[in-house]
Amino acid sequence: MCQISYVKSTFGLASRSERPIRRKALPPRTEKMDVDQDWPSVYPVAAPFKPSAVPLPVRMGYPVKKGVPMAKEGNLELLKIPNFLHLTPVAIKRHCEALKDFCTEWPAALDSDEKCEKHFPIEIDTADYVSSGPSVRNPKARVVTLRVKLSSLNLDNHAKKKLIKLVGERYCKTTDVLSITTDRCPLKRQNYDYALYLLTVLYHESWKTEEWEKNKTEADMEEYVWENSSSEKNVLQTLLQIRAADSSGAPSREELLGTKEVEDYQKCVVRLKNEGENEESLAQYKESVKRLLNLECSLN
Amino acid sequence: MTAKTMLTGVTRLSSRIQKLDPRCFLHGSAQAAQSNPVPAEHPRVISRTSDSDPAKHGEQHEGKYYSIPIQDLKTVFPHGLPPRFRMQVKTFGEACLMVRKPALELLGYLKNTKFSHPAVRYLLYGEKGTGKTLSLCHAVHFCAKHDWLVLHIPDAHLWVKNCRELLQSTYNKQRFDQPLEASTWLKNFKTTNKHFLSQIKVQEKYVWNRRESTEKGSPLGEVVEQGITRVRNATDAVGIVLKELRNQSSTGLFHLLVAVDGVNALWGRSTLKREDRTLIAPEELALVHSLRKMVKNDWHGGAIVLSLSQTGSLFKSRTAYLPHELLGKEGFDALDPFLPILTSNYNPKEFESSFQYYLENNWLQHEKAATEEGKKELKFLSNCNPGQLERLCASL
Repeated sequence: MCQISYVKSTFGLASRSERPIRRKALPPRTEKMDVDQDWPSVYPVAAPFKPSAVPLPVRMGYPVKKGVPMAKEGNLELLKIPNFLHLTPVAIKRHCEALKDFCTEWPAALDSDEKCEKHFPIEIDTADYVSSGPSVRNPKARVVTLRVKLSSLNLDNHAKKKLIKLVGERYCKTTDVLSITTDRCPLKRQNYDYALYLLTVLYHESWKTEEWEKNKTEADMEEYVWENSSSEKNVLQTLLQIRAADSSGAPSREELLGTKEVEDYQKCVVRLKNEGENEESLAQYKESVKRLLNLECSLN
Repeated sequence: MTAKTMLTGVTRLSSRIQKLDPRCFLHGSAQAAQSNPVPAEHPRVISRTSDSDPAKHGEQHEGKYYSIPIQDLKTVFPHGLPPRFRMQVKTFGEACLMVRKPALELLGYLKNTKFSHPAVRYLLYGEKGTGKTLSLCHAVHFCAKHDWLVLHIPDAHLWVKNCRELLQSTYNKQRFDQPLEASTWLKNFKTTNKHFLSQIKVQEKYVWNRRESTEKGSPLGEVVEQGITRVRNATDAVGIVLKELRNQSSTGLFHLLVAVDGVNALWGRSTLKREDRTLIAPEELALVHSLRKMVKNDWHGGAIVLSLSQTGSLFKSRTAYLPHELLGKEGFDALDPFLPILTSNYNPKEFESSFQYYLENNWLQHEKAATEEGKKELKFLSNCNPGQLERLCASL
């Protein structure tokens, strides 16, 4: 047996002295790094994570029981994830400085957000993509988003409501911004033209009034309108009956509508319906009904 | 004097003896003497008050329990009290309601009702278990004591769900009758308002079928009898009763109180189906239709007290308690203008009072329940919600 093994070990490289001498591992570069060194020169481009070149004591991985996450040396998890060690603020500042030569000046007159809003109400968002590969084309680059505030458009009440109904989901009520996103054409420029065309068409259409718009029912209304509502009818009927019972004359509808209690009641009902119910709007409603119907509470 | 010497005893036993004595000897003036020195020495006794007439209840009675006499219970509330409360009444042998602010407010308005004006609608709303139904019962008791005619529908939800028999209405082909529910309600109505039924006369002739008819001028009791005996016509009988009462309350012969619990059932959805398994809308039920006409304020001579209820409602979220959420747009518009009254959880004084009441009745059997910590724990667990507190104490 030992004969055979002896023969095998002499087959490839022979004795210890013939094998290339293996150097001892040097201490990692991190130990020689200063605190205020120039980091962009350590990572000038996107590079994988090198544990010996990154001086941070990073740990990553799921720990075993009563253990800690694995250290950075030989950690595959840290290699798998993308790192942005080449894009620290210092590095980006240097990029900006280099790019400055290719830029024009920001106009001095546009020094606040309101002025930008006022002179340039429409904002266009596009995205460009670069990648290393045989082709510069990227299908994602054709998406164009057009954002505009409706307050900067010249719309009257009816036009605004019609426009909001036409665009549907694309309007955000809290910020009053209409955003149209187009990507149906193959080129960015075509999409941009289409978005502008859509805006023009929406604007002009909302100003027109069609015949069938006369059939707008109460269910279509965006907010509660008190005139001609059932609430108004009920209140007037009740008040007329009260007046008739008191035999204090039969006032006309307009007179009743003009009284302070009815106006107050109208405001409360509109508030309740439009803003939704909560304790204080209900309390206000209660007070106004009390005043309207002259109810008193007698506690002993 | 005797009242005061009895109260100087420290043990709970003395307060029990006081409770068992007939109410009559603690009348109004003694009650004033009772409430003043007591809070200093014996906080246990302030949970009760002796005035069993809701008319005399005022702010000083707030937080105290008053008991409803047993004979009143049978006539005024044959079907009005909630099921858990009825069990409590049976266990304790007495029916005690706490006097609380929403009920006091409602009674204040009811006392000032102008009978020539159209009926005002009061809506009790609040979270689950805060006392809407019992406040309604308090108001019903008050009106019954003052000789109003009480039209009490204990739970309108019962009329839109779980109905065994649905017949096509004889009066109007589009609508549906519910003979069982109508006849039970008529029986209870008869118990409550017996003395009125002979006084009120019908103003039209009603023909039930080929052989039976009710002549003009006959007492309303006959219509009710007809409804109870001939169950097929019960729904129509209910409709007639409501119509007659509505028309005649304006004459001033009697004051009418319409009390409906769970009024959101009238405008909600129902789970009843026709033979071809399509859903029925509530307005196609004759009972609901007549009740809706009743809660409109086009009549005068009384008041309408309503309460919302999520507990029996169909297709409504458990957390819904505001009028719009439970009534829907249609219901709110139909009831508008109404006076909303909010019921809320117990305030500390009311909680104290409720706790004392349970202790006095030996309802809390747990040894730690009577201590301060036990009280704090109950307060925390129930968040001073009356319904929740009752449920917690039931298991102690």
